[in-house]
Amino acid sequence: MHSYIRPNDYVGVRLPSEGTRIIRPVPNTTVSLGKYGSFPANQIIGRPYHLTFEITETPDEDGNILRVVSAAELHAESLISDGSGEADGEGEELEMYGDGDAPMRTNREIVDDSSTQKMTLEEIEALKKEAGGAGREIIAKLLESHTALDQKTAFSLAKYTLRKRKKYMRRFTPIPLDVGFLTNYMLGEKDAAKIMELRDEAIGLIGCWGNVHHGGNTPIEDAMGSRPNSRYFVVDETGGLIVAAMAERMGILFSEDGDDEATSTVPEPSQHPANEDGQTEADQTEPGAEDSVPSRSPHQQPMSASGNTITLLHAHTRPNLSLLKYFGFDYDNPDESHPLFKHLKTVSWLQLVDPSTDPIYSNEPEEPSQETLSTMKASKRNAFYRKRNRWARTRNVVDEARAGGFDGLIVASLMEPATIMKYAVPLLTGSASVVAFSPTVEPLSELVDLYSTHRKTAFITQKRQIREQDEEDQVQGLAELEAEFIVDPSLLVAASVQTSRVRSWQVLPGRTHPLMSSRGGPEGYIFHAIRVLPAQDHIQAAGNQSRKRRKVSQKETTAPATTATDSGDANTDIQMRL
Amino acid sequence: MPSPFFTPGTRSQADQVALLHLRRDQTIPTVLQIHDDKNLGYDEGKVTNTRFGSFPHSTLLGQPWGSQIAASKVDTGSRGRRPPTQTQTSTPTETQTQTQLKRKAEDSPTVTDDARPTPKAAVAAASGYLHLLYPTPESWTASLPHRTQVVYTPDYSYILHRLRARPGCTILEAGAGSGSFTHAAARAVFNGYPSSEESLDEDQQQQQPSKKRRLGKVCSFEFHAQRVERVRDELVQHGLQGVVHATHRDVYGDGFLLDGASPHANAIFLDLPAPWLALKHLTRRPVEGGNPVSPLDPSTPVYICTFSPCLEQAQKTISTLRQLGWVAIEMVEVQHRRLEIRRERYGLDARGVRGAVVFPKSVDEAIGKLRASDRGGRFRNHKDDSIDTETPPAVNTTTITANTTTTTTTTITTQNTPVYNLGRVVHRTEADLKTHTSYLVFAVLPREWSEADEAKCRAKWPSSCVVDSKPFPAKSKKQLKREEKAKRDEERRKNE
Ligand SMILES: C[S@@+](CC[C@H](N)C(=O)[O-])C[C@H]1O[C@@H](n2cnc3c(N)ncnc32)[C@H](O)[C@@H]1O
Repeated sequence: MHSYIRPNDYVGVRLPSEGTRIIRPVPNTTVSLGKYGSFPANQIIGRPYHLTFEITETPDEDGNILRVVSAAELHAESLISDGSGEADGEGEELEMYGDGDAPMRTNREIVDDSSTQKMTLEEIEALKKEAGGAGREIIAKLLESHTALDQKTAFSLAKYTLRKRKKYMRRFTPIPLDVGFLTNYMLGEKDAAKIMELRDEAIGLIGCWGNVHHGGNTPIEDAMGSRPNSRYFVVDETGGLIVAAMAERMGILFSEDGDDEATSTVPEPSQHPANEDGQTEADQTEPGAEDSVPSRSPHQQPMSASGNTITLLHAHTRPNLSLLKYFGFDYDNPDESHPLFKHLKTVSWLQLVDPSTDPIYSNEPEEPSQETLSTMKASKRNAFYRKRNRWARTRNVVDEARAGGFDGLIVASLMEPATIMKYAVPLLTGSASVVAFSPTVEPLSELVDLYSTHRKTAFITQKRQIREQDEEDQVQGLAELEAEFIVDPSLLVAASVQTSRVRSWQVLPGRTHPLMSSRGGPEGYIFHAIRVLPAQDHIQAAGNQSRKRRKVSQKETTAPATTATDSGDANTDIQMRL
Repeated sequence: MPSPFFTPGTRSQADQVALLHLRRDQTIPTVLQIHDDKNLGYDEGKVTNTRFGSFPHSTLLGQPWGSQIAASKVDTGSRGRRPPTQTQTSTPTETQTQTQLKRKAEDSPTVTDDARPTPKAAVAAASGYLHLLYPTPESWTASLPHRTQVVYTPDYSYILHRLRARPGCTILEAGAGSGSFTHAAARAVFNGYPSSEESLDEDQQQQQPSKKRRLGKVCSFEFHAQRVERVRDELVQHGLQGVVHATHRDVYGDGFLLDGASPHANAIFLDLPAPWLALKHLTRRPVEGGNPVSPLDPSTPVYICTFSPCLEQAQKTISTLRQLGWVAIEMVEVQHRRLEIRRERYGLDARGVRGAVVFPKSVDEAIGKLRASDRGGRFRNHKDDSIDTETPPAVNTTTITANTTTTTTTTITTQNTPVYNLGRVVHRTEADLKTHTSYLVFAVLPREWSEADEAKCRAKWPSSCVVDSKPFPAKSKKQLKREEKAKRDEERRKNE
């Protein structure tokens, strides 16, 4: 788990300006950080993450120009101020108003707070010795002013100038490139709209409410009810960030995650004899196609895992998963050893909804006779096997998706949410969670409305009436019902929408306050509901309503609307009226 | 036993926790059992009574998760109940009884048969239902029996994401409190149940992957004896005992070692009144007063989060974190809102719709109504002088009902627009808003890096071999790997 920086992996970098970069330390090359300088990749490869390096002017005897800045040095200013009068709130005005101006403050009433720990003289000396380069200078200056205890103002002044300088120091901190880092990098440095302006807090909520987790190690035959666990449907228009976030939670995002749980045996398409099919389709772009050899063993087959899987539903012929490259997974040319190779499956909407019209799914490459196959040129034979493999894989993945039984549905898409629910919700198991993210609230409030109590009641009543009709009328009635109700409202309960935003604070001795500004933009909303299996016979809602009804009628005079509920007394009233 | 939290299977099973979902925010957790161990004397065996009816567990068992279950006719009065059996003197907790009965069942089935007559078959009631759901950390958090303040989903979802809590990680948690965070943490690190040696025969053991995968676990500490007991009971009931280890411990004084050994933690969550007092144990090298061995994983960075309602607590924590060498120290608050989404139904056509306001929804509608009332105006004025424009129609519903009997236009619209499409969808923040939960302090402790480590690394990756100061040439990964290998081989040759 990110023990050290591996050669050729993508690595996150935090700069003194709080900006971020992504670098790739290729052995024996130079890494450039723009105005913050450059350094040989070999000087960070193999080192731990989260260390802060300073790029020095002069190389040491090994030719090394990177100096590790100790934590004590990083915190020097705060450590020294802690426990001095500084901690009582002085000097803050400098930060808040004094940008550019000299401090105007005198500190007449200095009260030492003995409760917090002061650095001892030895500690300060040690820190001084340990620090190098720009750090040493800073500490020296700090101490100069600090030891003159009656000159607090001078101390503040020194700190102020140093704080400004710090921003330009040639320092950097390698950070593991995980979903958290990538999210903030995309938001801060790149096109935030590409990831639908998803923030950490939304990603956390989506994963939890979606109940996305590793499927465990239970052999399928031992599992309760004998079924593979943790199969999720995902609709992702964030370039793969949602897929990555879910994969991270499921333990299948990083190459190091590669583990060996049971995989289903995919029929061996290569056993089928091949045919003469002159078509030279550009299928190098197909996942796994390039390295696919006819005699591949089943567990090397792409998309072959039976549990702990993500099935991505995509709107274009090919899904956009470009961000996965940062995690060592290239959809067009996947690395067989990467866990996503087996655990990420892709199905287009056409394949899901109407597979018989999908060109790949429906065109089974014809089987040539054994002789034709043996007389084929090797390259041609391989081309045939590739096609055949692709067809077989598509069939497996699509048939499996259409068979349903998924444990969750995670949506981050600009498509009309109801249209996604219409096709995907029926394929979920009972009790599975549905989560949809939207930058803005409107698509989701409309979605909640489609599952309102009024709609449920109307739908159930109409459906029951249709069922009582004779067969011919039933067909037409059901068609009309589907036209009126784009989604079956009885399939989800507890539909709700929430939003979350974190507020960051600056916490420095005597200077603690919320940050003065942060990113605006869309709030980001999360829809959640639970898939249920409505009973075939109509069940009347009920409740011990006497008390509640009084409350409701009281409310009616003040509040002009009803709240959607799933069961119970709100339903009863309506049912009685209908 | 696999946990219904992580691997629920397709159907509900006996002795497992399930959630009875009545309506939004009304979910009852219960352990499914045919027989009534609390001995409340229902003819139907164990029964859960709700506002929406009574549910004998015989109707909930073996059902596909998510099923809608109809309520049953259960005589909840004294007549339907058998008198409590005399043998049961005390009222033990559910878990205790459960284990007792299990043991009994194994030892002598005949005794059990005598003690537990077959429950009466349930008879469906005329109305009432619920949905049978498998438990999740979210639903458990929302319905668990509170012993302390708990960490809710908006906070823990963010915390676990920031802690990089992933399958296979080890998380230290203190204090366990009511076990809310514990369940979410367990799900985050879960990547399999530890195999109990006894249950594995030779064959199966051989099938186990040779490469030992590290199983995620949560080490939870709590110094309140009763709370540890409660949490332990729940963990067993939830099938999580293999994933979570609950320890009775004062972590300020005694730290985080398990039997003197390091749990090799990758992440830490402290929800304690004085987290800074626990930090001396959470170092790479022992410090005065701290654990003699580091409880941290020496090979990975360690992420920490502390959760404190007061600013002073957070400040003290941060000051101590700095002194102990933690970096990337940050503090945030999570501000979360749930929305209430509903239709606001205005309009003269909304008459008779519950919760609707009968008021013209547009100027046109108002004019239409004014015209209509004008026609009947004289007649009405004779009848009742008090009905005039001064009375706001929205409040005085009866007036409007009287008026609209004459307006034909509105009646037509009512028939055309179904109730569920009336009005407009609006949203607002829910009535109960949490404006502050706690201050979340985050920090990272990098791996230790000694001079010896650095020297080794320099030997392996010498600075002198920079081939190109320009951006690296486009090489395939395979090519790079080959080159690396060649270099390694050369080194080995040199060393020999
Ligand atoms: C607010 S509760 C934790 C709630 C928990 N995070 C949850 O989500 O349910 C704090 C717990 O810390 C425990 N505690 C306080 N000081 C402790 C100490 N020194 N060692 C262990 N536990 C402690 C308390 O008994 C209490 O149960």
